[in-house]
Amino acid sequence: MQIPIERYELDNGLKVVLSEDHTTPVVALNIWYNVGSRNERADRTGLAHLFEHMMFQGTQHVPENGHIAHVERVGGSLNASTWLDRTNYYDTVPSDRLELVLWLESDRLGFFVPALTQEKLDNQRAVVKNERRQRVDNQPYGDWDERLQMLLYPPDHPYHHSVIGSMEHLDATSLDDVRDFFQTYYAPNNGVLTLCGDFDPAEARRLIERWFGPIPRGPAIPPLPGTPVLDPLKLGTEVRETRRGQVPLPRVYVGWRIPAYGTPDYYAADVASELLAGGKSARLYRELVRGRRLARSVAAFVLPVVTGASALIARGNVPAGEDPAILERAMRDEIARLAGGGVDAAEVERAVTGLEARHVFDLQKVNERADQLSQLTTYFDDPGLINTELERYRAVTADDVRRFAAEYLGDDNIVVLTYLPGEPAEAAS
Amino acid sequence: MSAPGLDRALAPPRGPLRPFHFTPVHRRALPNGLTVLVAETRNFPVVTVDVLVDAGGTVEPEGDAGIATMATSLLESGAGGRDADEIAERVDSLGLSLDAGVGWDTGQAGFTCLRARLEDGFELLADLVRRPVFPEAEMERVRDERVSTIQQRRGTPSSVADEVQGRWIFAPGTAFARPLGGTLRTLGGLTRDEVAAFHARRYRPAGATLVAAGDVGVDEVVALAERWFGDWEGAGEAVPPPEVRPRLERTTLVLVDQPGSVQSEIRIGHVGVARTAPDYAAVSVMNAILGGIFSSRLNLNLRERLGYTYGVSSAFATRRQEGTFGMATAVQTEVTAHSVSEMLRDMREIREAPVSAAELDDARNFLAGVFPLGLQTTDGVASKLTSIATYGLPDDYYEHYRDQLLSVTAADVQGAAQRRLWPDRAAVVVAGDAEKIRLELEALDLGPVVLADPAELED
Repeated sequence: MQIPIERYELDNGLKVVLSEDHTTPVVALNIWYNVGSRNERADRTGLAHLFEHMMFQGTQHVPENGHIAHVERVGGSLNASTWLDRTNYYDTVPSDRLELVLWLESDRLGFFVPALTQEKLDNQRAVVKNERRQRVDNQPYGDWDERLQMLLYPPDHPYHHSVIGSMEHLDATSLDDVRDFFQTYYAPNNGVLTLCGDFDPAEARRLIERWFGPIPRGPAIPPLPGTPVLDPLKLGTEVRETRRGQVPLPRVYVGWRIPAYGTPDYYAADVASELLAGGKSARLYRELVRGRRLARSVAAFVLPVVTGASALIARGNVPAGEDPAILERAMRDEIARLAGGGVDAAEVERAVTGLEARHVFDLQKVNERADQLSQLTTYFDDPGLINTELERYRAVTADDVRRFAAEYLGDDNIVVLTYLPGEPAEAAS
Repeated sequence: MSAPGLDRALAPPRGPLRPFHFTPVHRRALPNGLTVLVAETRNFPVVTVDVLVDAGGTVEPEGDAGIATMATSLLESGAGGRDADEIAERVDSLGLSLDAGVGWDTGQAGFTCLRARLEDGFELLADLVRRPVFPEAEMERVRDERVSTIQQRRGTPSSVADEVQGRWIFAPGTAFARPLGGTLRTLGGLTRDEVAAFHARRYRPAGATLVAAGDVGVDEVVALAERWFGDWEGAGEAVPPPEVRPRLERTTLVLVDQPGSVQSEIRIGHVGVARTAPDYAAVSVMNAILGGIFSSRLNLNLRERLGYTYGVSSAFATRRQEGTFGMATAVQTEVTAHSVSEMLRDMREIREAPVSAAELDDARNFLAGVFPLGLQTTDGVASKLTSIATYGLPDDYYEHYRDQLLSVTAADVQGAAQRRLWPDRAAVVVAGDAEKIRLELEALDLGPVVLADPAELED
């Protein structure tokens, strides 16, 4: 199975990836802009995401909410998301509507500023603050990623703060901030446009040039704020936080700083996370959920992020009334065993089989394929990795996992975040 | 910036339309009564297989709510000579995405796999469906897991609101008033032998269906089904469907106190519609306009006009019998009462006046257009085969599905709203900081006001 890929660049610097598939008469358009919460000023956390909301509030030629209405009324689906390193916008439509979404997306890139108003900003600020209330403040454990980011990355690192940002900074964001953010980061030379699905490549090239070609290149993108490079990469210590509050059951998160997405060690880390909790034969599940019953459920994953360092995170849900310290100890012991040489080739083989199968399952959707192509082009300028990245996983040996675990998953590089039921209070222990 | 001849003010014209057809559905029957439904899609080397048995929530014995869920959860805890760890190793070695679960109408177990693993997958699935052993220790462990899940839900405002809503839509004591997975009380009463006996009675081939979608042909599926399920025997005893009885005669405000909450979770709902109802397409279009899409009346009002919420939606959950209708949102505390009155106003307006031609057109085109998006994956196609099997839809139902949607009229929409939306007989559930919201909610004068009893959820 090979995903076909054509890659080229417009004169204004917009990178374009085309991937044909005529199975279903639909086409996915996906744009990644190389800007995320990492680019925010320390006193404007949440701006990149609030900005993404503003991109649905109309442009010079498309009225407020017109983008969504246009796509929905032709039978398409759409959304956008903001993360640490990037912001993506995507529309999947019946293939006869390709030009419609090229028009809409190009108007956002070329004609956003004239449609900005204070009223729209105030409305979306209220929506985003409600998003924060719903997902973070009124949700048990809802601030886990915010807390882990704060503990894993130092105050001057771009990952120190959360994507959703603080209420205070959202309140302080002005129309000038939004305009400046657009003019700094939303330029063709800071984006990747991918089409995947049912289109004619020659016609697609013509239409892309028609709608995106006239948009001028923007100024050079400024360097990231703060200190993105982490030297040394490891924390050098154990960092702990205990949060007591509105949670029904105790929960333990354990995190380690690890090399960034794209490095050989990252692939070893991803395989390690599979060995820990990729399926029900994985170590944490087998030993701690099914075996000793110290946890009701477990998870482990790595963050596909590229700025300075990624993280491997493991989570365990503790039964009511049990001491989370026991689960924490057991999780750390299991993880230490990865470094102890107990990993065999068959176990690694099983983990990679799972990764491989899920990769193929995911690629069935044109929108998922388009998103991956944009990601690989944004981070590595190599959309072909969609076909070859699995080789990097297959190259990981049991010894690589052992070496990775010994180097990075030790007590000198660990963050432990524990949630306890009870009266709200914070205490660093 | 504009090129000559490029008018950005006008939406560009559509390109050449390519036809869309639902993959033909092949139907076969095995001598033991097992129906086989197959849809071939060859673009990716992936196959989804599901076995559907008459072992859903509606056939649970009185007082045993959750037994159907326990039965499917325990299939992978030991079967056909393998223990739980050995099954897990086998599943992961094959790269299977195993999926077993329960709906009100069926119990289901199946997998998605790479094509090369299909035969291995069948072998394992046959063990799970036909030869589970229900080890006592796993029974206790899975029960504890479910108890923890319920405890988690009790501490999650959105889940509390959902569950209280279910309790106030259906009459106490009727099957649909309880959550499908059971309660602390009913789960606590189940024994390993009861679960094993439920499986032995209900997991039978006569009346069951095996669906397969993906990179495989009908003859190959039939051969695999005969090999692995051909000597499976028996039929589940017919069980009369449970009673569907609304709890409320008039709109009632049900308050769930969540002291300190920064938002209020609002659920407004009542008994809905069966999947096989003749006005199902009209109901779907009506719901899209009311709250089923981003550009719906509810969302443009509460989110985009008022900024009260991150999102608000409405949905009909359908099953063989009448399911539920519900509108759901989370709003900041201080605008709780106004949000409730706006939601009820939107609900009344779609009954009182015909929708505009533009709204009708947009909603029909949306539903017809997004339909193929869900069919790009083998499990998406398999889910449609599951609906055909579960609701007795014609095999060519999905080939004509889009035409049904596109032929709905404004009068159909209004008729559906008048029949299927009950603003005067709704449960208005609000989970929030009662001290801050109660007075304003009472001032809306919607009807009786009750404080939900959390103990009711445990029963």
